Amino acid sequence: MTELKPDLWWLCVPIIIALFLLLRAFNTRMENSALRSITNPVFLSIAVIALLLINFNLPYSEFAHHSQLLSWLLEPAIVALALPLYQQFIHVRKNLLLILGTCSLGIVNATFVAFLLSVFFKVPSELSASVAALSVTTPISLIVTDSLGGISSLAAAMVIFIGLLGALFGFMLFRLVKIGSHESQGVAMGTACHAIGTAAALAEHAKVGAFSSVAMALSALLTAIIVPLLYPFLVNSLL
Amino acid sequence: MMKYLLSSAIILLCLACAKLIMHFTGGSFPAPLLAMVILLVLLLAGIVKEEHLKPCASPILNVMPIFFIPAGVGFIEHLNLIKSNWPFLMSVIFIVPASTLLLVSSVMVFFKSRKNND
Repeated sequence: MTELKPDLWWLCVPIIIALFLLLRAFNTRMENSALRSITNPVFLSIAVIALLLINFNLPYSEFAHHSQLLSWLLEPAIVALALPLYQQFIHVRKNLLLILGTCSLGIVNATFVAFLLSVFFKVPSELSASVAALSVTTPISLIVTDSLGGISSLAAAMVIFIGLLGALFGFMLFRLVKIGSHESQGVAMGTACHAIGTAAALAEHAKVGAFSSVAMALSALLTAIIVPLLYPFLVNSLL
Repeated sequence: MMKYLLSSAIILLCLACAKLIMHFTGGSFPAPLLAMVILLVLLLAGIVKEEHLKPCASPILNVMPIFFIPAGVGFIEHLNLIKSNWPFLMSVIFIVPASTLLLVSSVMVFFKSRKNND
């Protein structure tokens, strides 16, 4: 295994930040919306770093350990989402029951569709449990996947990819099916694509971002309640 | 300088309170989300003002995607499992969010238009 000098690992955080800011500056220069989605800076940053680690045979565990600061900052960032939520709360308050209902429906759909796919592809139960709670923010996905006997680190990676796909193609999909309402787009993005989708929603419009934040928070709560009950029920009834 | 200290202190205090609550109640609800709810309640009650929060909250929200990058790279730990089950995983990655996005947004549009007609 190629060894990176221990004193060079501290470069992880500055490299991630510099790479992301560079790719974001590049991304904002894109005038075409499709090109802008494809050159998503998070997606490209992950791809570049993954390629570097694989190519130079560098251990991911070391990389994760030395970039802990960024993972830790995710928590205050989620707390800060209260700000756009508050700024648009007046629009959300009138629709709270509707959002609660549609979020629950979205979570049931995500778990059910993932389960049907695992039955269709005849995957081992460990893998099936790993994809039961993907339409939710990473910490909840980890907790729920663990409780179901799945591989939580794989679930975390899948959650990120689902969020990235939502950020990349979510708004294209809405345009394709002609769904232009800010409330509908926001609730769908927050339910299906959690924080990465919410970040994309914030970039699209403040109101879409606010609804996405509400849906993300409600989805986290609802996933923690619904999926641990729904998944064993599906396993017992359909297998 | 003071406004940045105050803004970051509000966010971190909410997070600390939420962590303490979760620690003592032993629940599995994630502390950051509880902290977000606490902060929202404080904003709605007028105890915390928007301008108190903005100095730190706005820049942190602006760079939020950076914090996902280390976790996102984690997929390289499972390359063998991914290789042997890639059709299944690709189907999940595409079909699950697409169906959820379409279902949730369509149901929202349906109920919103019904509400507007009433």
